[in-house]
Amino acid sequence: MTLKLNRRTLLRGLGGAAVGLPLLDCMSSDGGVARAQDAGPPKRYAILFAGQGIGGDGWERDRNMIAGERFQESGHFIVPAETGENYTLTTPLQPLRELRADFSVVSGLNIPFSRTSTEAADVPAGGAFRDFHGGGAGPLLCGTRSQSASFTCRSITSDQVLARMHTGKTAVPSLVLRAQPSWYLSGSSYAGRNYISYGEGGTRIESQPSPQIAYRALFTGFAPDDEAERARFDFNQRARRSVLDLVTGKRQGLLGRVGAADRVRLERHFDEIRELELRLGAVDPMTGSCSLPGDPGADPAVGGDNAGSGSDSIGTNTGYSDEQARGRAMTDLVYMAFVCDLTRVATLQLTTFQSHMNVFQLTSELGTPIRADLHEVGHNGDQNNRGQLPVSLCLQWHIAHYAYLLQRLKSTPEAGATLLDNSVIVFMPEAGHGTQLNDATSRFQTHSVEDMVLLVAGRAGGLRPGRHIAAAGAHPAQCLLTCMQAAGSSATQLGEVSGTLGALLA
Amino acid sequence: MIARSNGRWSWIAVAVASHALLAGCTSDAEGDAPGGEDGSAGVFTGGNGAGPGGNGQTAGGLPGAVSGRGGATGASGATGQGGPAAFESVARRLSRTELNNVLADVLGDSTNPANQFLLEDEYAPYDNDYTLQSASQALIDGLNAFAEDVARRALADPARRAALVPCSPTGPGDASCFRQVIESVGAKLLRRPLADAEVERYLTLQAFATEDNPHVDNDFYTAVELFFRAVLQDPEFLYRIEVGEPTANPGISVLNSHEVASRLSFLIAGSTPDATLLAEARSNALLDAPSRRAQAERLLGTERARDQLHRYHAMWLGYRAIPHPANLTRDFDTETTHAIDRVVFDESRSYLELFTLPETYLTASLAKHYGLPAPANGSGWVAYPADSGRAGILSHGSVLSAFSKFSDTSPTQRGILVRTRLLCLEVVPPPASVNVDEPPGDVESTCKVERYAAHRELASCASCHAGLDPIGLGLEQYDMAGRFRTHDDGNPECVLDGAGELPGYGAFSGPGELGARLVASGVLDACSVQQYVSFAIGRRPTADEAPHLEAALERFRASDHDFSSLVLDFVSDPAFVLRREPVRP
Repeated sequence: MTLKLNRRTLLRGLGGAAVGLPLLDCMSSDGGVARAQDAGPPKRYAILFAGQGIGGDGWERDRNMIAGERFQESGHFIVPAETGENYTLTTPLQPLRELRADFSVVSGLNIPFSRTSTEAADVPAGGAFRDFHGGGAGPLLCGTRSQSASFTCRSITSDQVLARMHTGKTAVPSLVLRAQPSWYLSGSSYAGRNYISYGEGGTRIESQPSPQIAYRALFTGFAPDDEAERARFDFNQRARRSVLDLVTGKRQGLLGRVGAADRVRLERHFDEIRELELRLGAVDPMTGSCSLPGDPGADPAVGGDNAGSGSDSIGTNTGYSDEQARGRAMTDLVYMAFVCDLTRVATLQLTTFQSHMNVFQLTSELGTPIRADLHEVGHNGDQNNRGQLPVSLCLQWHIAHYAYLLQRLKSTPEAGATLLDNSVIVFMPEAGHGTQLNDATSRFQTHSVEDMVLLVAGRAGGLRPGRHIAAAGAHPAQCLLTCMQAAGSSATQLGEVSGTLGALLA
Repeated sequence: MIARSNGRWSWIAVAVASHALLAGCTSDAEGDAPGGEDGSAGVFTGGNGAGPGGNGQTAGGLPGAVSGRGGATGASGATGQGGPAAFESVARRLSRTELNNVLADVLGDSTNPANQFLLEDEYAPYDNDYTLQSASQALIDGLNAFAEDVARRALADPARRAALVPCSPTGPGDASCFRQVIESVGAKLLRRPLADAEVERYLTLQAFATEDNPHVDNDFYTAVELFFRAVLQDPEFLYRIEVGEPTANPGISVLNSHEVASRLSFLIAGSTPDATLLAEARSNALLDAPSRRAQAERLLGTERARDQLHRYHAMWLGYRAIPHPANLTRDFDTETTHAIDRVVFDESRSYLELFTLPETYLTASLAKHYGLPAPANGSGWVAYPADSGRAGILSHGSVLSAFSKFSDTSPTQRGILVRTRLLCLEVVPPPASVNVDEPPGDVESTCKVERYAAHRELASCASCHAGLDPIGLGLEQYDMAGRFRTHDDGNPECVLDGAGELPGYGAFSGPGELGARLVASGVLDACSVQQYVSFAIGRRPTADEAPHLEAALERFRASDHDFSSLVLDFVSDPAFVLRREPVRP
């Protein structure tokens, strides 16, 4: 699709990403009010999530097995041997080699848990219920202790705190995306593993798994410049509004007829439509300051999906839906949404918690075919490929998407610096590699909330990247809180956790 | 409480706490995989004892403590007992498959567009569980794109357009022709006739057809397309909203005839009411049980009904998406659907024979795959050799693939499948201190059976795994593609003896004997009823609803387990036209 900028916006003087003129207050969609208050370009915040651990189950950090051959070799486990600036890049971090100065590795993060009790009542503040996957999710994302093994947050997540801060300033409050579109296992369901963004009080925010729909949702309001195209665009936007008006016009009548339970269900539905309507109006015509990205086209087929009674359309891509292409398309969307200031907050779940995505294809492309799903890799599920290196290869695949986003942000000038300089971009794996959460005894375990790692990139708010910081038992939420403050939040707590990691700024 | 063959069994909802599913202490990371069945257990009646093998009964099972999921089914014990038998219900959003079927039937769209645009339904294990549905921005964005795409393509194809527009428009402003489209297609999509005021509102879209705009290529069909888009995003299309009329019993309404038509059609055909059913609805006939039964019988004769029951079984038994090449899964599909069709539709046999059929439908390549005798003419029914160990649906590669991993079978997961889906027993989650997918025993143990022995040695594991692993171990000689084997894959020294036990019901070896044990248990039929009712009402039944299930089971048994009768009796029951308003806590 050819990009045609809205002439009116062009006249306002913004050249956008490619040109890199200073950002003018008049260009912001709020007419500059907010910009005048906190001078400088807006601060962006994103989390890219990997539904896997960082180490092999029961394997020490230097133990590996590839193609049935065991060997002892350091440098594959994600955490570098040295701290500070001159650390040796580990296998998972390889995609970031050109970006060393732009991100920090924060290691040694711990979520607390009771070593003596498995009772919900004994979970410490900000801590994890003693059952790994579900118990670890809440405190990691929102800093509030979990009380069960269910995948849930009991308070708002970091990204949504920032989304609330930016309310009304952008067309989209936050972009919540997921690259893995299917749970893949035939006998069960996500049951909460597909959420990393939660609103106030722990309300789940559904992620959009379709690059195509995310693209349409973000960019339908972009007004073309050409007169004829502009006329068609206006016609279509009016038509779209009329259609939605007909739908929402039924609201009162319908809600008045139905029972109390249905009123709640349907009100929610109508409320969400109203959000869509607001978005239609918000983008046009103020946001023309950026380039319309190419349409990602139809989504790659969902592997393992099937139309009939059984698996009649399963192909060799079983358990894999080209998450490579989907992840790439979605990082592009996050990037362009940031460039265009359509939103300032994004989360992207590359893979879901406890992901059962088949890694055969993507590890084959990395030269080491692993016959297992992502969750099994951490638990040594491939008889011939175990230990750190297989886990690190999968982690490297996730981090490649993170690196791609950083690279794009870095190559985009903004307000005398780069877009990456005005951002905080976090990479978050699901698990650490320490004491097993369930038995509180076994070491080097995938099911652990000890020795967790976060990557933090960008320079917003005085962040000073480029180092390996051993956080010595800090809570991951303290790292996130530091990032939130760097992104402009005045929050002093995330859930039950307070305190920041000064080392990220020092 | 109906006396069971063993006199001790009680109704128990299939429920598993959160993700744990007892895979604890298990092997090869089959672990905590299946996780859809979250929520707390509901014991249907105050059960009078533990299930076979000392398992299955949840503590308490107090009425009112049933469903913890989303609050949508919060029937309380007190109010739930009052009045006539009626299932609690709310507006159910159409599943992706239901939407696909509706669009195929009404708009001639065979592209399964819902799969492309809408979020994957949660399978727990059925895709129509309304307690797991909630509106979100991701849903609304998907629906918006879905409606635009479906409407555009419906009119871009001349043949389909001609079928949808029953008149020749005289020009872009032909209001009479537009009205005809609105009334005909609108009634099909909204499943009821449109009121005049509604038609008038849609007619306003004609302004987009008549607008004189040199840059826009608009015509009569522009308005039709916008009308389709509006209806396809209408909550009355997307949800089955039931209002009905209040009855003398507080909280209980009687549905109107069109609402009944939808219930009937979506249950049996998985799609919107057809023209005949809509005509019946207009005459108010469907509130009478005999008319309803006659319509249900008619629908059971359609291909849609077969598809629906095939899908139901695939979700129930967990083989709806299995990790094999397309040609093999197609052969499995053919095999299993032939068995279902034969037992349920074509020969009306006892439903229990689905688990004991001494023969199976094979293609030549599937016969070769299994190592079974080839069918006579390319494909056909083949009697299992006496020593094959096979009989019934549990011998099929489809079911044997279910609850496996990408790489191998999982005795624990197969045990869970049998226990939760076929016995409707709960699997108690492991103690929290158990790592739910730590490989059992020494990870270096060569043989899988030896690794699983660790489950029996550790007391904390044994208490639960004793109810699971022996089931799976009895199926271990059948690999995850249903082939017979005598040792671990690639490990001839790891001999598999195939000895298993259905705890509480005796030893078995192989899927044939397991099927026989299940039939003899006297529980399989009760569990089948519970599963089907869960599918029908879009959630697990609550404790208060146990009497409906018991009545259905009695009728099922009286019919010699004729599955069509189960369906027909269910829709003929007075409860089918009633709705109980949920009592929210």
